[in-house]
Amino acid sequence: MKSLLLLLIPLYVLPLVVHSDVVLTILIFTFLLGILAVGFNIVFGGAGQLTMFHAAAFGIGSYVTFLSMLRFGIPFWLGYCVAVVIVVLVSIVIGWICFKFRLKEFYFAVVTLAFAELCRLVALNWTSVTNGTLGMLVLEKPTIWLPGSGIVRIEQTTSWYFLSLVALSAILVFSVLLMRSWIGRNFSAIRLNEDLAQTLGIDTFRYKLLAFTISNVIASFAGALYGFYTGYIEPAYLAVTQSLDAIAMVLLGGVSTIMGPVVGALVLTSLPHLIELPAEMRVAVYGMILILVILLMPRGVVGLFRRPRHAA
Amino acid sequence: MKHCLRACFAGALLTAAVVDVASAQTGTVKLGQIEAQTGPNAIYGYMSSQGVPIAVDEINKAGGFKVGDTTYKLDLIALDTRGDPKEATIQIKKLLEQDKAKFVFGPFLSNVFVTIFPYAKQFNGKFLMLGGGTRIHEFVGQPGNEFVIRSWNWDAGPRGFGERMVDYLIKTAHPKKVAMLFQNDSGGKILGDIYEPIFKARGIETMTEYFEPGTKDFSPVLAKIGEFRPDYLFPGYSDAALYDIVRQSIEGNYSKKFFLVRGSTGPGLKNKDGIEDYIVYVPKDFEEAEKSDPKVKHFVDAYKAFYKRDFPYDQAPLCSSSCYDHVYMLVAAMQKAGSVDDVEKIRKTLLSMTYEGMWKISFDDHSEQVFNFDIVHLRKGGVKEVSHVEP
Amino acid sequence: MTQVVVGQILNGIILGSLYGIIALGVTMTFGITGIVNFALGQFMMIGAYATWYFTDLVMLPFPVSVVFAVAIAAVAGLVADQALFRFTRNNLVNGLLVSIGLISVMESAALLLFTTTPKNMDVVIAGSWSLGAITLPRMKVVAFLLLVAVIGLTWLGLSRAWLGRATRAYAQNPEAAMLMGVPTKALQTGVVVYSCALAGFGGALYASLFSLEPSLGALFILKGVEGAILAGVGNLLGALAGGAILGVTESVGSLYLPTSFRDAYGLVFLVAILLFRPAGLFGGRK
Repeated sequence: MKSLLLLLIPLYVLPLVVHSDVVLTILIFTFLLGILAVGFNIVFGGAGQLTMFHAAAFGIGSYVTFLSMLRFGIPFWLGYCVAVVIVVLVSIVIGWICFKFRLKEFYFAVVTLAFAELCRLVALNWTSVTNGTLGMLVLEKPTIWLPGSGIVRIEQTTSWYFLSLVALSAILVFSVLLMRSWIGRNFSAIRLNEDLAQTLGIDTFRYKLLAFTISNVIASFAGALYGFYTGYIEPAYLAVTQSLDAIAMVLLGGVSTIMGPVVGALVLTSLPHLIELPAEMRVAVYGMILILVILLMPRGVVGLFRRPRHAA
Repeated sequence: MKHCLRACFAGALLTAAVVDVASAQTGTVKLGQIEAQTGPNAIYGYMSSQGVPIAVDEINKAGGFKVGDTTYKLDLIALDTRGDPKEATIQIKKLLEQDKAKFVFGPFLSNVFVTIFPYAKQFNGKFLMLGGGTRIHEFVGQPGNEFVIRSWNWDAGPRGFGERMVDYLIKTAHPKKVAMLFQNDSGGKILGDIYEPIFKARGIETMTEYFEPGTKDFSPVLAKIGEFRPDYLFPGYSDAALYDIVRQSIEGNYSKKFFLVRGSTGPGLKNKDGIEDYIVYVPKDFEEAEKSDPKVKHFVDAYKAFYKRDFPYDQAPLCSSSCYDHVYMLVAAMQKAGSVDDVEKIRKTLLSMTYEGMWKISFDDHSEQVFNFDIVHLRKGGVKEVSHVEP
Repeated sequence: MTQVVVGQILNGIILGSLYGIIALGVTMTFGITGIVNFALGQFMMIGAYATWYFTDLVMLPFPVSVVFAVAIAAVAGLVADQALFRFTRNNLVNGLLVSIGLISVMESAALLLFTTTPKNMDVVIAGSWSLGAITLPRMKVVAFLLLVAVIGLTWLGLSRAWLGRATRAYAQNPEAAMLMGVPTKALQTGVVVYSCALAGFGGALYASLFSLEPSLGALFILKGVEGAILAGVGNLLGALAGGAILGVTESVGSLYLPTSFRDAYGLVFLVAILLFRPAGLFGGRK
């Protein structure tokens, strides 16, 4: 928790010193994608289940929040609640299918991939609702009640900066508390040795389902904010590449660590702007990073700074 | 001592005069470019991002251009969006806030444009954006959106090239049924929306099918189309799919007559022994134009010298949007308006002038480009017939 | 209308054989090295581009180009194995992630070398055979026969030849096989190389039929994995059947339902099968 505060406090103060809109924008994207990565880390680094569904949850978060606002005329946060309900239902259905049938790692990844692709195809083809491949322009913005100012629309870069930073901080605190609780310890047990965990009396089915659902809800939160920030929602949000991006961020930063996903998100989001590379090279660099991390730095960047601890 | 003092004083005056002259008479105009130079959709930003540097280089090497007393050089800031709206968001901020560019070329990609539009709109009146994206059509010409100018003509409407293409088709072939096969994405859907009414208005029966981007095997959808027994198959829009569609349509005997408004002559030529008819819209048939038009020849040579590689005849037609010609046109507008920063004046001048470069370019009252184009008509065996149209 | 359906069933089977050869590679790799080589699609892409290069640019006869292409794919497979997969044996997650990394690297290399502009090989065998209203391009039929032949020979090799039986022995019981003198390390490398060669061969035939883009690997590996799972990972001839079923489902599905959902049909079918027969249609034994 200490290291968390150490890293977060400077970020809150940053806008007072840095006024460059470009830097703040890059950081906003970092925070939002960081939320997605942290969510993924809970089910992968925590419970040890490799899922490819988080991009779909990300996209569902954007689409459902916006569509609810459109259809029912409700504010952002209520629209997001609707999205949560949908994501939880979908996660339970998919999770039930996968875990009940005791699908092992590889099959789980493939089936979640299949479902994610199905969701993407639905978003792509259900044109009457989602406007299909043309995507949807989001002119609405989330609103917040602030003491003194009343209801404020989040539109300016600085407002978005603080909103996304607060959101990320909240998710980080949540994930720390979760992983330290008995739920988190059960996740770790499952990750380390599922069969043993089962014999110890842990209902692996229930905990895997829980991890999967929590991860997707967090992903949908990232998606809702992301869609409203960029102002444009399209089916590509649900693509495999989005899932892979998140995986790369977590791996690079450090699996099973708390700050790892954020570090990974920071590096991968800002890299293209620090080094101007043509798209092809960037993809190659991505791949090389993934390979090198797996072979040489399996504990990621954050892992380099920590001594191996007894798993927690 | 006096002698020396006088010499120094004279030297100082002379230097001051020279320095004064130098700084008063040169300046730089920043030109931003925001296109997909690399990535899966690079084809839609490739040629424009290739043509602009050539023009900028030529103008600067010739000493720049003069407006009033000052000679200006162009400073090109070309950013690669990679086709990613997220990248584009950051890049347009850079161009407008950091570089303070007053003129931005691009984007050609609709999804990029739609994403950066709300931000760019805040700068309305402070800069001009010249892009060819299909969806720009929805925004251009409306109050509050004066900064947007579309550098490609529109299919429909009184000066629409689509209408002219269909007229040509009817005149030469009198088809009764046309089957349309488009990619299931922005471009494809819009094409369907535009052309179905155009055909219907002329009493031609149509059928529209969409295929998933990335499809290679078109057999099932072609079989569906085959059942309809169309006179012409109208596929769109990227060469990637067109080569496969044309080949498979011929091999499977579904249709040997093709009508296209996007894409090149390539697929037709590759399958020249199998086609019966292949009618395609190209902004310019570069192979032919190179031989007869000195301006085109000059461009081709300049391209080869600048990039030291073969000229991409297939993609060159995309240069009709925010490319080589447009740099010169913008410079001409600045000269005519007598200013390089009065954005509103330059805009009005640009929209009211006609520029004759490789194309004859002008703008309609919706700020959309109107330019001449070619219709290439290939017949069995590869016999080519080119018609020039000026809307 | 029935003729159209029959035509699509045939088309689906032919397309399926292309999926099948990748599925075969997936299944063999999983059975022997314990990982899924997602990068097989990239080796297919190498085979395709190499074939195009040798046939169109170097002007070699098609069969010679195919041989070269397969060789190149095999060598690339060897390099990948020694540099990467050797360190991820039996670690499914790591193997998956490494192959994903490899995909990015290989696809970028292809983009840099060849750009996104699609390449089209000159037609090798022109014309089509017609039976009533059913028209099948000759090259497609020839490709199908070649693919089936190669898959069949692989199966035969694995069931009769010593090397083949050693491989199966290893798959069933690694320790026992080692004790019996089976050179396990060489075997694992050999299987990776062979599956890459198979993918390369598939790519060579792909080049004779469709246009080439650096991203072609992605589509086929997904289908290959689906086909392998459908049949039951580890079942070799089943891989061909799995691929064929997938191809037919797609083609016929596209006839009746929106074409734009084409990829979904295979996915839905796959999930359904997995629910009722988690070991795959023919699974249960390796």
